[in-house]
Amino acid sequence: MLFLSSGFRPAGVDTNSKMKAIFIMNFTKLIEWPKSYREGNFVVGVVGESPLYTELTKMAKTKKVANQSLQIKKFSTSKDIGKCHILYVSKAKSEDISSVLKKVKANSTLIITEKQGLVEKGAGINFIIKNNRQKFELNKKNVEKYKLKVSSNLEALAFTVK
Amino acid sequence: MNKRIYILFTILILTGSVFGQFVGKDNLSISLFYMQKAELDSAKKYIDLSTTDDNLKSTAKTWYYRGFIYKELYKKREKDNKTSPLRLTSIESFKKMLTLNGKEEFIESTSKILKYEASTLYNDAARLLDPKNYKTAVSNYDLFRSTMLLVNPNFDLKSRDVKFKLALASMLNRPAETSAGLDSTRSYQIKKLYKEILSIDPNNSAANYNLAILYYNEGADIINNMDYDMDIMKLNEVQDHCIEIFLKALPYMKKSYSLERKGKDKRKETLIGLKNIYYGLNDLEKSEYYERELNIIETQESIERLNKQLKAMEEKGLKSSEEYGVSKTKLKTLELELQTLQNKHKDLEKE
Repeated sequence: MLFLSSGFRPAGVDTNSKMKAIFIMNFTKLIEWPKSYREGNFVVGVVGESPLYTELTKMAKTKKVANQSLQIKKFSTSKDIGKCHILYVSKAKSEDISSVLKKVKANSTLIITEKQGLVEKGAGINFIIKNNRQKFELNKKNVEKYKLKVSSNLEALAFTVK
Repeated sequence: MNKRIYILFTILILTGSVFGQFVGKDNLSISLFYMQKAELDSAKKYIDLSTTDDNLKSTAKTWYYRGFIYKELYKKREKDNKTSPLRLTSIESFKKMLTLNGKEEFIESTSKILKYEASTLYNDAARLLDPKNYKTAVSNYDLFRSTMLLVNPNFDLKSRDVKFKLALASMLNRPAETSAGLDSTRSYQIKKLYKEILSIDPNNSAANYNLAILYYNEGADIINNMDYDMDIMKLNEVQDHCIEIFLKALPYMKKSYSLERKGKDKRKETLIGLKNIYYGLNDLEKSEYYERELNIIETQESIERLNKQLKAMEEKGLKSSEEYGVSKTKLKTLELELQTLQNKHKDLEKE
């Protein structure tokens, strides 16, 4: 007489990418780009395959950075990288960090990575996991050498500052 | 005039003959008289009077027949009424009877009737399991329980309880399948039901799996609804809260995994659940481990499907066709893929 239907399905949410996207949105507010970068689109590039690209694209549909529209670009290799405000290097492309750095050295680009040790190798911000939580480490020098200004709030919120 | 006198005389004789036979009889006897004649309304009238009669209200016989008459009336008039007051009065009468001296001679018959009434309550409870009527279903089920326990206080109702609670939880979860989703009150209500089920049957695979999914979805929904503009301080707070929720989901999903739910689809559901929970916990290695196990099952399924297709083509004499060749190559690729996945999975297991 009693009928059971399952209907219990896990929600289709990329929890980790959503967290990272919110962090990135915060970085756009807590880092200051040179004046010449404050017009046109605010470009976030993703190097390599990452689910974060999809999440950032979703975010770009509804959010702006000050008056700038968000534009998300995907780069398959470091060779394809163009001018970006933020460049996210996926885990799979972590080995390419030195070529990424060469490619962006003339620009004011915040480089974000997600592999242990990359803040020592040129990344400005590196996503890390601590006690199951998404956190980030900051290398202030690596950020500032691209003519970007780091707010003291961002330093306070980072898990480690180098 | 004569005609009128004749009619009056006839009425007096007729009424006198009915009442005449009840002279000196008590209300219970009169009730039984009507009961035997299947005049249930009259039987009910006199049996109700018996229950207020000082000489009759404490005898088991009075309450037994009250229960019996009301049961007959229920069958005749309220069979389709899922909250039948007649059935309820019948059960209450039997309940009272069971507390009185002299109940022994009625016990066997009472048990049979109570079992019958309990079965109607159970069926009505099942029929009422819909969003509009589920509270009545729960009342009916509770009444079914208490009625069964009247028959035998040691009656084992565990499996029935589990079955009913599972069906109720499943029904309450229906909004989750629509865009409306579950509100927090409903989610709490369903979780409570699953916890009750698990306190009865800790190895219930559906309850373990569904409870894990409820917790996981609670955390995932919070994250999904977070505004991209949320500041980092708040983000950290929300993250802590969600991790707590995902950690609540984990033991239930692990239990579901250890119970090896029957059927490949169920196994796949559990693997997806574990993959997602670990991903929510930012434990990407473990998430990948279960994803790989899922990939192995899916690749095995593809191989099975392909083997069936090849067999069908062979039976049709298409062994030399181009399509057969393509499928055969595809099969080899899948078999290699499976081998790689299995090796990687073994490596992860060792780690």
